[in-house]
Amino acid sequence: MKPNPPPGACEICPAHHSANLKRLGVNMDRYHFVVALAGNPNTGKSTLFNSLTGLRQHTGNWPGKTVTRAEGGFAYQGSNYKLVDLPGTYSLLSTSTDEEIARDFILFGQPDVTVIVVDATRLERNLNLVCQVLEITGRAVVCLNLMDEAERHRLTVDERSLARELGVPVVPAAARQGRGVPMLIDMIHQVATGGFVCKPHRIQSEPPALKRAVSLLVEKLGAAFPDLPNARWVALRLLEGDARIEEAVRSGELAGLVRAPQGAATAAPAEGAG
Amino acid sequence: MNELTGPLLAVLAALAIYFLFRPGRGWLERWRRRLRLSDRVLSEDALKHLYHCEYEQRVATVQSLSGALGTPVEKVAGLVQRIEAGELATSEGASLRLTPKGREYALRIIRAHRLWERYLSEETGLKEPDWHKRAEQQEHRLTSSEADALAARMGNPPFDPHGDPIPTQRGQLPPRRGQPLTSLAVGERARIAHLEDEPEAVYAQLVAEGLHPLMAVQLTHVSAERICFRAEGEEHVLAPIVAANVAVVPLPREQPVEESLETLAVLEPGQEATVVGLSPNCRGLERRRLMDLGLLPGTVVAAEMRSPVGDPTAFRIRGALIALRGEQAANIRIGSRRQVA
Amino acid sequence: MSPANSREEVLEAAANLRWEVGPDLHDSLMEALYTDAARISDRVLSRDDARPAFDLDRTIDRLVTSRWLGFPIMMLLMAVVLWVTITGANVPSSLLSSLFLETLHPALKQAAAAAGLAWWLDGLLIDGMFLAVAWVVSVMLPPMAIFFPLFTLLEDFGYLPRVAFNLDRWFKMAGAHGKQALTMAMGYGCNAAGVVATRVIDSPRERLIATLTNNFSLCNGRWPTQILIATIFIGSLAPPALAGLVSAGSVMAVVLLGVGGTFLVSWGLSRTLLKGEASAFSLELPPYRPPRILQTIYTSLIDRTLIVLWRAVVFSVPAGAAIWLVSNTHVGGASLAEHLIQGMNPFGLLIGLNGVILLAYIIAIPANEIVIPTVLMLTVVSAGLPGVGEGAGVMFELDSASATLGVLEADGWTLLTGINLMLFSLLHNPCSTTLYTIWKETGSVKWTAASALLPVAMGFVVCFCVAQAFRWLGG
Ligand SMILES: Nc1nc2c(ncn2[C@@H]2O[C@H](COP(=O)(O)OP(=O)(O)O)[C@@H](O)[C@H]2O)c(=O)[nH]1
Ligand SMILES: [Mg+2]
Repeated sequence: MKPNPPPGACEICPAHHSANLKRLGVNMDRYHFVVALAGNPNTGKSTLFNSLTGLRQHTGNWPGKTVTRAEGGFAYQGSNYKLVDLPGTYSLLSTSTDEEIARDFILFGQPDVTVIVVDATRLERNLNLVCQVLEITGRAVVCLNLMDEAERHRLTVDERSLARELGVPVVPAAARQGRGVPMLIDMIHQVATGGFVCKPHRIQSEPPALKRAVSLLVEKLGAAFPDLPNARWVALRLLEGDARIEEAVRSGELAGLVRAPQGAATAAPAEGAG
Repeated sequence: MNELTGPLLAVLAALAIYFLFRPGRGWLERWRRRLRLSDRVLSEDALKHLYHCEYEQRVATVQSLSGALGTPVEKVAGLVQRIEAGELATSEGASLRLTPKGREYALRIIRAHRLWERYLSEETGLKEPDWHKRAEQQEHRLTSSEADALAARMGNPPFDPHGDPIPTQRGQLPPRRGQPLTSLAVGERARIAHLEDEPEAVYAQLVAEGLHPLMAVQLTHVSAERICFRAEGEEHVLAPIVAANVAVVPLPREQPVEESLETLAVLEPGQEATVVGLSPNCRGLERRRLMDLGLLPGTVVAAEMRSPVGDPTAFRIRGALIALRGEQAANIRIGSRRQVA
Repeated sequence: MSPANSREEVLEAAANLRWEVGPDLHDSLMEALYTDAARISDRVLSRDDARPAFDLDRTIDRLVTSRWLGFPIMMLLMAVVLWVTITGANVPSSLLSSLFLETLHPALKQAAAAAGLAWWLDGLLIDGMFLAVAWVVSVMLPPMAIFFPLFTLLEDFGYLPRVAFNLDRWFKMAGAHGKQALTMAMGYGCNAAGVVATRVIDSPRERLIATLTNNFSLCNGRWPTQILIATIFIGSLAPPALAGLVSAGSVMAVVLLGVGGTFLVSWGLSRTLLKGEASAFSLELPPYRPPRILQTIYTSLIDRTLIVLWRAVVFSVPAGAAIWLVSNTHVGGASLAEHLIQGMNPFGLLIGLNGVILLAYIIAIPANEIVIPTVLMLTVVSAGLPGVGEGAGVMFELDSASATLGVLEADGWTLLTGINLMLFSLLHNPCSTTLYTIWKETGSVKWTAASALLPVAMGFVVCFCVAQAFRWLGG
């Protein structure tokens, strides 16, 4: 099978589309898609959020600045997008409040697209979070931010191979200069509308004992929740004793997370806040 | 100042009365409750002892009970009578056995104890020596619904910080894991699953050796008098009778042997090394944080600079510059050091 | 099989498997994740090592954390920030206060008289509420509007984490986090902002320590009190040539006392009340990034200055009303203020203060800025000085230090009162804006109460001891 078309390719640079982008600030009551911004602390999520929405969230060169969840919106090609700036976290597996907020939003909030903002100069550490998010949701776009910094440190990232490895679009960007933002918007649009079908990377290196336990549980989960897109991740959480996930299994809430295949979601306007 | 003395005394007296007789939490009330509690505490501790004996397939007697509780035999006899009257245990000749009701009771106490230790180790800043002491008291205070709530909040942890399983809400425990250290052959590698905490003298010796659950060990020498093994780069020698109190789970052979004694704390700016492991002393929030940052076995870490006052030190970890304090760095074992090119 | 059954079965299976996978599940999962991450990053990342370039980040880091230059650079930057703030705030501060107090206030009074407003309504609204707000805004706004953007620029550049790195060892000894140095520094601007800034400390215990001790940083509402009292009571003891130096020195002594208090209380808290709180140190030193000046100034004005200012304004309105009311409500031939002052005077004198100061600190709790005007007004009310001030319930300040001294000495103030007022201004409960912020940030009434009671108790004890020593020495 051929891999997805490399999304890093610049022939699809939608520079001409940027005129379509209207910054809606927070004044939006109707939106078609919800987009979450996740990522490590200090990777430029808030900067990106500001440049997408025209708002002015506090940004600062400190890990741990964004503490409350900020929301805003933008419109592109006739669809309204609601954007949620999640607190920056290194992981989604520990149990701090920040991680819970981010995790719950990505899992239960069911954003149509999750943009994972990645610091290109600390790729390895950021990929740890990317892998975790991709276990939860395949509807993701990786924004390879701080490319200007990476260039200054003479680092080159082969974004096409990265996209191939991760199975989701990768967009290089420098949010502060606005570089790559139009293309990111276009990719968000494509993933949201099903123009791009993701095949998210799954964790491969677990030790055999863990693998065995996970596949046993996935089987059982399959019986209780057919078509659950992230059964493996749910199984891992159950093995770690995540009370919130156990509750979602017990109450059957998890069944609500089984969604129509990507792209089938037609752009029907939803009312009110999510 | 004389006109102040009167009112001052009145206020003091009022305060004293308040603290003595405060409903529910007054000192008087607490003291009375403690008296009542001590009887219950003793019988609950006795049930725990009976359960441990059963789990380890030893025979419990009035003598062993008296030893475990540190109470004279005469007093224990009365205690045993009370327990039997409550249909929590029965005696057959010299040996004491739990009834199903007694077993359930004992498991509830053990659950509360291990949960509390787990809670203290993971979610508070208290250090290892405090856990057991505090859990010994808390186990008698936690009601089972409180214990359940605590467990749910912590994600129903299956193990306590010593590697012992925590009974489930329904009182289930897995079969004992591991085999005695004495059963390994020379060269074989294993992970410590459990340290037997009775008899106390033997347990103290194991702790003094610095052994703890999850530690990887490799046998280097076995004879009738002693058993030698390496663990975390250190050589340990135990008498077989002591080593028999260490339960281990064998590890696959191909895993590399952790040979190093050094920790990140000795890394000088300009040097780098590969992480071999995180000490089990680093736990809870701190352990998760360090692992989130990418400090894991196999990670290459370079020391970059030291604070002008000598501590902390900033390390390059997977591209990011992270400052760690000396005592944190001392919990991270590394392989051989080398100069950064 | 019913769905509920199959769901329970999942949970049951998970519970059993958890015994099997053992206690190091989290470790192995993290290892698996990082193994994948490292593999992918190896494949896609390449570094051009051809020419070993000059590494700017590393050079700056070597410099700002060096043995010899680290601390001088830090102090230089702090001094520059403070100097720019103090000198820069003078002009706008006096402009604002002349606008509010000399132009707007009389104009409002005239308008009220023309409209035939009842005297008490006019007093309550204009002399009480308006004046309190005016005072708070004109004293608070200019320094904050300068200090916070400067601070934010340093933050955006990436320098602040290096300060935490340099100072961490000392904070560690007190059981605190190096980042507390920055929340303290922020506290010199405003304690409420300092408390908000504790968010960057991600370890629960250390964050609580930083929150509870932020009040020991003398905020900009308290600087004027310190400087005024130091000038009229302490500076005047020295020969005129040295007066400025001596009074500045005594203010510095109070600041240092605050620093000492921070460390002492942090140390105590970490070993008593907060012993059981979880703690995990981590300090990431982010790469240097050129700050974006305009954006930074804009967001720091919006995020820090205006929010804090707004809270202070909201709280000072009722305070203004209270101040006016206590001095204009008469019971049994004397105003409420006089009764209260009389009542608290014995205790006040015992600890080397007086009833006026205690009452001023109670009713001026929303903002330290209005303590001195309130003290002056209450002094005139209680001592019945004719011809001074603007009338009962109207806060004022005098143009010259000697006039102020005259008023205060007429009410029996001594050197001891001055010294203890300086101490008490450092060691008393945080203003209500800060308390509200602490409550919002910690979500706990207990910690909010602790942060209020601890410093007042310390203030009483310290003032009492100083008073005893002073009297014993026959001062
Ligand atoms: N050079 C550069 N700096 C950036 C870029 N994006 C963000 N920053 C800076 O990175 C810092 C952190 O940004 P912020 O948006 O607060 O990150 P967040 O914590 O992920 O929300 C700020 O100082 C930004 O100005 C970028 O593309 N290039
Ligand atoms: Mg942010």
